[in-house]
Order: sequence, then C-alpha cells, then structure tokens
Amino acid sequence: MTRRRLARAGYNAAAVLVLLVTLFPIYWMVATGFKRGADILSFEPKWLPIPGTLENFRTAVDKPHFLQDVRNSILVVIATIVISLALAFLAALAAARFRFSGRAVLVVMLIVVQMVPLEALIIPIYLMLDRAGQTDRLAGIVVTYLTFVLPFAIWTLRGFIVNIPEELEEAAMVDGCTRAGAFRRILFPLVAPGLVATAVFSFILVWNDYLIAYVLLRSPERQTLGIWLASFTTNHGTEWGAVMAGSTLFAIPAVVFFLLVQRRVVSGLTAGAVKG
Amino acid sequence: MRAVETRPPSSRRRAAPRERPPAPRRPGARARRLRPLVPYALLAPALLVLAAILGFPLYRLVSLSFQQYGLKELFAGRGTFIGLRNYQDILTDPFFWTVVARTLVFATVAVGLTMVLGTLVALLLRNLARPMRVLVTAGLVAAWAMPTLTAISIWQWMFDFEFGVVNWLLTRLGAESFQQHNWFDQPLQGFTVIMIVVVWGALPFVAITLHAGLTQVPAELEEAARVDGAGAWQVFRHITLPVMKPIFLILATLSTIWDFKVFTQIWVLLNQRPSREYFLLGIWSYSESFGVTRYGKGAAIAVVMVILLMLVTSFYVRQMLRAVGP
Amino acid sequence: MPSSRRSRLSAVLALAVALVLGVAACGGSDDKGDQSSAQSGPRTMTIWLMEGSAPPKVVDAVNAEWKKAHPNDTVKVELQQWNNVTTKLDAAFAGSSPPDVVELGNTLVSKYAAAGALQDLSGSRGDFENNQAWLQSLTESCTMDGKLVCAPYLAGSRAVIYRKSMLAKAGITKAPASLEELQADAEKLMATFGSDKRFSAFYFPGKYWYAALPFVWDHGGDIAVQDGDQWRGALDSAEAQAGLTALKQLVDCCSRADKQGDELKQDQAFAQGHIAMIVANGWEKGVILDPKQGNPKLEKDLAAFPLPSRTSGQTAPVFLGGSDLGIAAKSKNQDLALDWVKLLAGTNFQTQMATVGGVIPNSTTLLDLHADDPYLSVFDATAKNSRFTPTSPNWANVEAANILPDMLVSIFTERSSVADATKQASTQITDTLNSGS
Repeated sequence: MTRRRLARAGYNAAAVLVLLVTLFPIYWMVATGFKRGADILSFEPKWLPIPGTLENFRTAVDKPHFLQDVRNSILVVIATIVISLALAFLAALAAARFRFSGRAVLVVMLIVVQMVPLEALIIPIYLMLDRAGQTDRLAGIVVTYLTFVLPFAIWTLRGFIVNIPEELEEAAMVDGCTRAGAFRRILFPLVAPGLVATAVFSFILVWNDYLIAYVLLRSPERQTLGIWLASFTTNHGTEWGAVMAGSTLFAIPAVVFFLLVQRRVVSGLTAGAVKG
Repeated sequence: MRAVETRPPSSRRRAAPRERPPAPRRPGARARRLRPLVPYALLAPALLVLAAILGFPLYRLVSLSFQQYGLKELFAGRGTFIGLRNYQDILTDPFFWTVVARTLVFATVAVGLTMVLGTLVALLLRNLARPMRVLVTAGLVAAWAMPTLTAISIWQWMFDFEFGVVNWLLTRLGAESFQQHNWFDQPLQGFTVIMIVVVWGALPFVAITLHAGLTQVPAELEEAARVDGAGAWQVFRHITLPVMKPIFLILATLSTIWDFKVFTQIWVLLNQRPSREYFLLGIWSYSESFGVTRYGKGAAIAVVMVILLMLVTSFYVRQMLRAVGP
Repeated sequence: MPSSRRSRLSAVLALAVALVLGVAACGGSDDKGDQSSAQSGPRTMTIWLMEGSAPPKVVDAVNAEWKKAHPNDTVKVELQQWNNVTTKLDAAFAGSSPPDVVELGNTLVSKYAAAGALQDLSGSRGDFENNQAWLQSLTESCTMDGKLVCAPYLAGSRAVIYRKSMLAKAGITKAPASLEELQADAEKLMATFGSDKRFSAFYFPGKYWYAALPFVWDHGGDIAVQDGDQWRGALDSAEAQAGLTALKQLVDCCSRADKQGDELKQDQAFAQGHIAMIVANGWEKGVILDPKQGNPKLEKDLAAFPLPSRTSGQTAPVFLGGSDLGIAAKSKNQDLALDWVKLLAGTNFQTQMATVGGVIPNSTTLLDLHADDPYLSVFDATAKNSRFTPTSPNWANVEAANILPDMLVSIFTERSSVADATKQASTQITDTLNSGS
C-alpha cells in the first residue's frame, strides 16, 4: 500500500516539476502584461505585477484593425484545420490501407518536402501566388498553410492508422459494412487522438505564423494576429508590456481550443470499449 | 485487442461466405474496375494542393541554386546560369564543414533530449490521476500554444545580461561572476540556452503525441508482463516500445528535420544579428539569401541542407519503407 | 495485367489533370495586371509606410490634400512591420504590382536603387519644395550615380541624454564642450556614484556602432573611402584608430553596459535610474518617460547636449538616421505617386511631421521649428553636422554581416587590439563593398 502511495507521490512531484518548467514562462508573460513600465525590465525581478496596470492590454487592443485581425485569423485557422484534416485523412487512408504503385515514393516525398526550409521558399511562393492574383487574399494564405501542414498531417495520420489492426475493419465488413463505412465508423473514431494531435499542430502552425502572412498579405484589413503581435516592435524598439499583454490574449484561443477538443478525445476513447 | 461495442447497423443481407478483404461487399464489374483508382482518388486532393503550391517553388529553388541571382536578377526575373559553381564554392569552403558539423551535433543533442524527455513526460501522464493529468496536459498545451516569438523573448529575458532572472538567481546563490553575465559570449553557453528554448518548445507536442500513442498500447499485455515479474524498464522495452515503434520513428524523424532546420530561435535570441560562430545551416542559408542577397548561393545551401537531411534520416526512412511494403 | 495498366493510366490522367490545373493557376491571371494600366477610370495607388513613422493624423491630412487634386482616384496606405521588412520588399519589388510609393530606411535605398527597383526622379527634383535645402546626408542616401532615386522624408540624429540631478551632484555645472571634458565629467560621475555596482556614467553597449561613428569621424577617419569606382575600408587609418581608442577609454572607465550587447534596451535600462548619460535619438526620451516602458517621474530631470568634438566648442559629426520616399520603377501610377510624395516632403506636412511627430524634418529651412524646445533643438543642431554611411549598393551587406558591431565587440572585450580589429574590419569592408552581387 505505502509503495503505491510513494509511487503516487513521486509521480505527483514529477508532475509539479513539469508544470513549473512549462508554466513559469507563461506566468511571466501574463504577469508582464499587467506591469508598469519600470517594473518590466528591472534589475531586481518583480515577481508580482503589483501595482499593476491595464494600460498594456488597452494599447494592445486599441491597435487599428485589431478586430479584423481576429476575424481573419479565426477564419484562416478554421479553414485550414477543417480542410487539412479532411484531405490528410483521405490521403493517409490511401497510404496506409491500400497498395498502389508509387506508395513508397509518396511516403518519401512527404518526408522530403518537409525538409525544405520555409525561408527558402517564401519568395518563390509569393511570386507564384502573385501571378495567380492570389496575394493579399486569405484564400492564398490558407492554401499556403495547407501546403505546410499536409505533409506532416498525412504522414502522422498514416502512422496512427497503420497502428490499428486491419482485422477490426474486416470484422465490420463481415458484419455487413462497406469499406467506406468501415473507415468511417471503425477507423475514424480510433484515430481520433491522431486527428486531435494533427488539428492542434495545424492550429499552432497557422496561429503562430508571421512570415507567410507578412509577406503574402498587404491590406490593413486583411492582416492576421501574427502580424498584429509583431507591430509592437518598431524602429523605436519593442513595447514589451504591450507584446506580453497581446501575447496573453493571443494564446487564449489556443488553450480554449485544446480544452474543447480534449473532452471529445476522452469521450471518444471511453465510449464503449469492450474487451474482445 | 480493442473492439468496439457498437455494431454498424446494417440491413443488408449477406448470403455470400466470408471473403478475404479487400474485396468489396457489393461486387459489380464496374466497381471492380474502378477499385485501383480509389487510392489515387483519395490522394488526389491533398497532392493537388501540394503540387500547386510547392511544385513550382521547389523547382525554382533548385534552378536558383545553379544561378547567380542577386537583387537585380530578382527584380528582372532572370539570373545568370553558372552551373555548379555555387555548390563548388560551398563545398570547398571550410566554413561549410564547420557549420555542418555544428548543425549535426546540435540536432543530435536536441532530438535526443526531446525524445527522452518527451517519453518520460508521456509515461508520467499515463501514471497520473485524472485531475493531475488534465492539469499537466493543459500546462503542456499552454506552453505549446504560446506564440513562438513571445516564448523566445521570455527566455531571452530570463538569460538577459543585466535584467535576467537566471543571473539574479545565480548571484543570489553566491556565484558573483554572474552579476552581469552575457550568456551568448561563449558559443557553448549560448547554444545551451538555445537548446533549452528549442527543447522547451518541442517537448509539448512530442509528449502529447506519445501519450496519445500510449493509449493504443494494450494495457492487458503490460499488466500480464508485470504480473509475470517484469520490471518497469523491461515492460517498457519489450511491450511498450515495439508497439510504439512507428510513432517513435515518426516523431524522431520529424524532430530531426525540425531541429536541423532551427532558425527562429537563434535569430531572435541573438537579436537578428548572430555572429558566424552561431551559424547553423538554416541561418547561413537565410543570411546568404536575404542578408547579403545572394539568392543563388542561399538556394544552394538550402538544397545541400535537404540532401544532408535525407542522408541523416535515411535510416528511419528505410525502416518506414520496410513497414510500408512493396 | 489489364488492371495494372489501367491503374497506371489513371495515375497518368490524375497527374495530367494536376499539371493542367497548376499551369492554369500559374499562367492565368495576367489580366490582373492590365486592369490598373487602363488609362481611363479611377485608379488606386498604394503607399507603404513603416509602422510608427508618421502620425496617423498627418497621413490622413496628406491623403485629403492629395484627393483634392485627384478626386476620382483612391489612395491606400499600408503600414509595414520592421521585422523582416527586407524580405517583404524583395518579394514585392520582384512581383507584378509593387507599392507605388515606399518608405525605405536610408541605409537600404542604395541596395534597392542599384537593383533597379526605384524610379529615377532627377527630372522632377525641381518640383520638390525646399529641394535645395534638403539635409545633406539624406540627399546623399537618395543619390545613386548622380541620379536622384528618392525624396528625403524624415531624419533622426543622436546626442547625449543625461540626468541633470546626477551631473549636479557630481559638481558638473555645464555640458562638456570637448571630448576631454566629457571624459573628465564621466570620471567624476563614476567617483561620485561608483559605490553602486550597477552605475554607469556613460552607458555604452558594445555593439552600438551608430554611436561609435562620431568618434571615428571626429578624429578625421571614415568607414570607407571611394577610389574611382572601388571602395577601400578606412577604419584602420591612424585617425580612425585614434577615435576608437578615445571611445574605448570612455567605455573602460565609465560604462557597465554589456560589451557584447546592443542598444535596444538602453532606454529601459536608463529608466531604472543607475545611468547618468546615454547616446540616444531624440525620440528615446519618449520611451524613457512612457509609463508602459519606463519611468515618467524622470521628466523634469532629463536634458540633452550634443556629443562634443575633441576640438573645444564644436560638436562631433553624428550619423543621420532616417527614411526616404521612393517610387517603384514598375509602378503604373507614377504621376499619382509623385504628387503624393511631393506633398509629404513639402513644407506644410514636413512642418506637421516635426511638430506633431517630433522628428527632424528633411530640410534645413525647417530646422528651427523646435527652436523653443531646449531638448529637441539640441538634436536639430546636431543634424546640421551629420554624416552618412558609404553610399554603395553593397553597404546593406556590410550591415547584414555585422562587421562593425563585431569589430567594436572585439575592441571593447580586448579580444583584439584596436589595430588588429580595425585592420580585419577594413579588409572585410573592402571585400564586401567591392564584391559583385
């Protein structure tokens, strides 16, 4: 009994350590958003933002076009996640469950494509979208984001699907399912954790992006939040308080997204798993 | 083996004996003919997007690497073909070999740390009670959700010369020499800081994905092994690891690719002006392309980087191909 | 075999469809470009200004004035971020529809001009108000091969911002009139406040090359000199070395700043209260006093004096930072763009930029706008004695390669002697400035 209690205590202690390491920078970001100027960069670290101020948040939100930036970011993120999940799941199905010529080449290409640094591609991508008239368009950046999300998504989902034994689908088909039905009813729920991981990855990549949005977008009403966050750095230096306040606001949707998604994952896994 | 309780409701009557998959349930001549097209149809949308956006730029990147291409050529839209000279310049430059070695060492250490720590955290998550697990996962996601530039800025502050909390703490603990200490003076210390930032940012994703993969490991097998007297490490090595192998391989390969390409962390931590001792391949490529606007050479460095990466990950790729089959 | 042949055929078909779609997407929309070249009908002009450079009120006023002459056309102002702006500029100028008017940092102009991105404005110079009185360094930055490639827009110069109370406490009654006096004053300050381990009399981060240049120039040296069409790095000259040695003396005794750091956080550091003097731009006072970034309580305690020359009574030449306004060579609205630039560079709006925005306007005739302001007039005065970096298209590469900051760091950390560090830097500068791109 005590052995288990010790083990439990050990795990909890380790958990606290992990929490400390992950949360301290976050705490610092949030706290700095509330600090007055002289307390932000000070010789003796100011642990608590007291006396605090809401000025940084006000500055962050008062930026022109802030609400439009929010709207644009949300649109782009949702579009990218939905489309990438759909396309990636289909492609991963093909790569994991079917035999066809070129399968090996496909897998290799998916990996190789991820090796090219974004910075090396950004200008050719811009020039190409320019010729297609798609610069300064949200559709243009959604498609660009898809390009950087898909290889990873397909590859990861393929890994998850491969891990699930085909016998499950076969059993379902014996009982009267079509292949597509088996994919939809059996495979899809089991791959849920992989889908979640992919969705979160897509979200973070799109939400955090600066370079793609910055180079491809021009009009003030078409910017995204990544650019808004960078706008606090001018040639007069960086407004740290506003950046931290802005970052706090900026990170909230990501955390909310996870909390929403997490419950679905749990429910998907516990919905009637029976030992067979 | 996990089976789902809910059966798909089906009113179709099956008279045919059980066939071996992947035979369709409603065989028709036309369906049979179209079947080989199914994988291509599934792949087509995704591949279309990739080909449309990446096809031309990738071709452009490679062709740029064979040209002399500065700003003038960029605006005119045409460069001068110089064959392999960019590659020659790079490969005969001793600096190149230094940068390659540096990148390899950095990536190896980073990947190692990320995978080991990620696995430990994933295992930890599995062993926690539900409320604690949700808390730690939320912490991980919050760290992952933090905007990259903000995260780097916070770490930069923590290691700041005069305002940093690390120096403050060390001074408090008695190490007077850290009163005002520049962590980026010595590349070894500087890369330690960079490594911390990179691993901190990469850990959540690896840990969460591994944890998701761990849920696919049959608990009964592990239980059985433990009942038979296997220690924790043996259970991990013989039961957990083999089941997780595909996911490990994927994550390790991805981590290798990402850590090889590290750019933003170094660029921002060194205030967009890293000195040559901090150059990794990604930084060098960017510096050549946009710093000194030698796009041709920058492209060549990027191509060399991809080739190197392919060599480095070839082991994983071969494993993966073996699993994929003919 | 038939099924495999069919599957191969379907694969080829799929590929073909993809290619066709790809080509269609790429080749398709050339008509986007033709639209704006239609001579009849309303036109839209795009302006790129940098974030934070012009007060929005001034921009709106310029637009309103411009609209009077072009009632049927539209002007769109797009603010650009400073981070990675060169990447965006490269892409935009290479594309089919660059902005018509673009604000460029003055050190970036020659790079883009030499690559053919900017329109030659020499013929229109006479149309610009005050063009004979433009600040010399800004004009230099706009001149390439004798041609005018942009119009001076705004400037910023540096002087020494100091804490009046600290200097008073150390017994310093007037601003130093020579470099020697500055050194003596700094030493006095260190003696008075030296017990504070964080105190700096003259806070000078090692990589702050903008503030190191005045010492080089004041002693008669320069970064590089032009020899025909070749450049030669000149930091290893005896004069330049003397200037850097004088600076090193000041830094050694009286600066606790990071010898390997840059000046980006110096205002926040100054606001902490352990620094007596910094070399700074005029607008840095705003940062020091901003409640969100510094300490507003220091308002009454701040003043400025120009960096003194080694010759008593004179000021050292300072680096004139600033921006220029260029017109894209590919722009299809040259006339509209020119009118807009003429307005913003003209007397009326330059006056507003100076009074509302607090920047140094582009012409010497307007430099007395701040005559009543004891603080800003110091900076305006230093602008009259200002210099610029070599106007070579490769200068941006010298900056990108960090040659000057690295040289300063090795001097201040004593990794190299002044002679060795300057020799190495000069060689690198010579190579970089003369290299074909």
